[in-house]
Amino acid sequence: MKKRFGLLSTDGGRTIVASLISIVIGMVIGALVVLIVGICTPTIGLKGALDGVRIILGGLFVLGERTEAGALAFGFNSVSMGNMLFRAMPLVMTGLSVAIAYRTGLFNIGAAGQYLMGTLASLFVALSIPSATVPAWIIWTLALLAGMLAGALWGAIPGLLKALLNINEVIACIMTNWLAANLVTWAFEVSNLKNVAEGTKTAYIYKTTFNNVATSKLGLDQLFPGSQVNGGILIAALFAVIVYIIITKTTFGYELKACGFNRYAARYAGIHDKRNIVLSMAIAGSLASLGGALYYLSGNTEFYWNTYQTLPGEGFNGIPVALLAANNPIAVIFTAMFMSMLSICGTRLSQLTAFNEYITNVIIAVIVYMSAFSLIIKMFLGRHARKDEPLVQAAVALTESLKPGKAPPDAAKASDPKPISLDKGGADQ
Amino acid sequence: MKRASDDYVIEMLHITKVFPGIKANDDITLQLRRGEIHALLGENGAGKSTLMSVLFGLYQPDGGEIRKDGRKVEINSPNDATALHIGMVHQHFKLIDVFTVLENIVLGAEDTKNGFLTTKAARKKVQELSERYGLLVDLDAKVENITVGMQQRVEILKMLYRDNEVLIFDEPTAVLTPQEIDELMKIMKGLAAEGKSILFITHKLNEIMAVSDRVSVLRKGRYIGTVDTANTTQQELSRMMVGRDVQLVVEKKPSVPGEIIMDVQELSVMSKLYHREAVNRVSFNVRQGEIVCIAGIDGNGQSELVYALTGLEKPSSGRILLQGQDITHLSIRERAKAGMSHIPEDRHKHGLVLDYTLEQNLVLQCYQDPQFQRMGLIRFDEVRAYADKLIEDFDIRSGQGPVTIARSMSGGNQQKAIIAREVDRDMPLIVAVQPTRGLDVGAIENVHAQLVKERDAGKAVLLVSLELEEVMNLSDRILVMYEGEIVGELDPKATTVEELGLYMAGAKRQNVRAEA
Repeated sequence: MKKRFGLLSTDGGRTIVASLISIVIGMVIGALVVLIVGICTPTIGLKGALDGVRIILGGLFVLGERTEAGALAFGFNSVSMGNMLFRAMPLVMTGLSVAIAYRTGLFNIGAAGQYLMGTLASLFVALSIPSATVPAWIIWTLALLAGMLAGALWGAIPGLLKALLNINEVIACIMTNWLAANLVTWAFEVSNLKNVAEGTKTAYIYKTTFNNVATSKLGLDQLFPGSQVNGGILIAALFAVIVYIIITKTTFGYELKACGFNRYAARYAGIHDKRNIVLSMAIAGSLASLGGALYYLSGNTEFYWNTYQTLPGEGFNGIPVALLAANNPIAVIFTAMFMSMLSICGTRLSQLTAFNEYITNVIIAVIVYMSAFSLIIKMFLGRHARKDEPLVQAAVALTESLKPGKAPPDAAKASDPKPISLDKGGADQ
Repeated sequence: MKRASDDYVIEMLHITKVFPGIKANDDITLQLRRGEIHALLGENGAGKSTLMSVLFGLYQPDGGEIRKDGRKVEINSPNDATALHIGMVHQHFKLIDVFTVLENIVLGAEDTKNGFLTTKAARKKVQELSERYGLLVDLDAKVENITVGMQQRVEILKMLYRDNEVLIFDEPTAVLTPQEIDELMKIMKGLAAEGKSILFITHKLNEIMAVSDRVSVLRKGRYIGTVDTANTTQQELSRMMVGRDVQLVVEKKPSVPGEIIMDVQELSVMSKLYHREAVNRVSFNVRQGEIVCIAGIDGNGQSELVYALTGLEKPSSGRILLQGQDITHLSIRERAKAGMSHIPEDRHKHGLVLDYTLEQNLVLQCYQDPQFQRMGLIRFDEVRAYADKLIEDFDIRSGQGPVTIARSMSGGNQQKAIIAREVDRDMPLIVAVQPTRGLDVGAIENVHAQLVKERDAGKAVLLVSLELEEVMNLSDRILVMYEGEIVGELDPKATTVEELGLYMAGAKRQNVRAEA
């Protein structure tokens, strides 16, 4: 009891617990949906439905085959593990993109478009410069940088519109998303990078290995043999740490957060709020586009370029990843891994049972709702902790105030039990 | 049953309420007689609001009991309070703007007939109440279209409509004009005469003297005492409230003006809203060692003038010189660096980042100084040490010291934090806009003393204030603004409040500006 109270007594602790609770509720509801859909579908039945639940809860430890008796096989699966990391990579980046914009008080719903622009620029560079004349690692580096630059410019557009004309960034982002989708389709349509060699495939771009360009595996393929994983996940994690340092340790992050919390006070203090809004969106854009660049530079992924009527899911899934992580860059690494695990579960479901793999989207949807709900859960946790132990807290406060050099506590509503967390974001905007 | 039950309609006995880090109410006893106006006096953060929230069922007390008509009651929600006929007018009205007055009054207690709303009976009852207590309202006007004073009358009618006999007024005069305050005082006396019992929360001493029968004083969560208004003085009440003698009049030496620090020449600012000159060719200067006060009724161009001086808006013409340097076209930060400190009018919107901690707010102007950052990385230990120093020097009180979230601090301490931040920068010019707005006497005294201290240290202080008393008390020179122009320069020692009022209303003017 005491330990639990300790975890709930800090704001960060409550955030973690709230996120975990929303994940658990999401999984339980998801499992229920799988069960009900299974029982109601003649081709699946109760047995298939129960297998479905096992796969959902078994996660990465479900092997892609059945035992001779026909039961599910469980165990460590290096392919699943590696692929989970591989697919988490772009989600980490788009999650970071959403998180850093949110800290500046902006909702970056344009990660999908920025992701596409990053893909476009990096694929063009990676496939256009012949590796016969330029060393492949230089091409790879240039491609990555080109991707980031394209995303930064693309993200800066809604940033500029917001800063200069006060146009809502959500609307501008939605429009830049579809502009990107059509621009990418058109650019590859007129390019000669189209893959017409591999059988019946249409509207695919050559893999970058065609030009010998591919992200280094950095030994991760030894760790998870047979999977797609490469060094990209380490780069993504490195960026998470960098973003964390920017937000919490630098004066730049201090300015960004000040603008996010209260743009007027920031301006009063001489902070260039407009410049910071543009910079924040540009950084968010470059992070999202780095996700696209890393994903397609891995060498074993194919890009379907007829994107004009669909936007990449990685862009939008960055939103739940960031929400679930409470916009903490380090936590984004883990929530991205969790989301990619769910999509692996979806694949397993369709392999091993008669379920459609899209059933996992239901679980993701529930978790998205729950992650928005996690603020309320957190509020409830805060209340609960205080109600339980007011005397303990008072004692702590008292000893705290008796320490030398500290002013006695003001009899103010130092910690009003009516939490204001819900209107925190909106109150000053 | 005890005899006391005949006297008291509400008794709150030994109420204790603890929040993490703070004892908001510590063994407080408050007894309200039937038909009296009982003032509850205390500084910001003394625990008045918490106590009333306990009575209104918003908080549950950790100790003590509440009695209604001598019987012990449990009030677990505002609904329980309403059932006990306890009503509250909040400082910020709880009205729905787009509903009519009548709809707002009946809201939550509507009559229905066959499932449809009927207002006939309600209208009759409200009309009777409004006549009986002299509460003039237009029942069919939308709330968004009526004055603040009338909105308050609607709130009072809401309580009366629910047959409440205990009425709580939470700082009801904060939003009213002087005339509306007089009106409210009359209404309160009328209600008491009709047998209603009133709890009146305030920190304004003159209102207490004018209207209340008895006063209970709280200080830092503790109960100090209850006195009959007839047998006390403002001086004694303020001593009870603050715990020491309070200087109600600012004590200061005559000013010794030195060199000109800020020179404003023919400054004009366009109003964004109305496309006319909000500030019209204003010229004045502020010298070392004097407090120059810009007086005027709200909305006569003072805000725009300050925006132009501090760099938030561009002037349309004219020049601003700070220590001889032309700062007319400098950015906000460049001006701050050139020698200007600024205590803004709206501390929540402009002065503080409320979701930042106290220490983060204290470095809001100087986080880029080499002292607090190395190559863009914040030096947290230096920030903490600096914050601790300011907290100590300026006596900023908060629940958790430097890591307190600014939002959770009391208004007076928030203002202290801003003043600490701006004064400690040690700039030759301090622009202070309504620095005491919404503060209690103790905090006002502190702010005034601080400004006088800076003046005596040779700073130039430009004060913008709407409070006549503050203008007369604090300033060494008064400039009156009327419709964007400076219409008079007065010496506070040689003028009267009445004369100042004539200038402010535009009835009198000097030819201070040489016509070009």
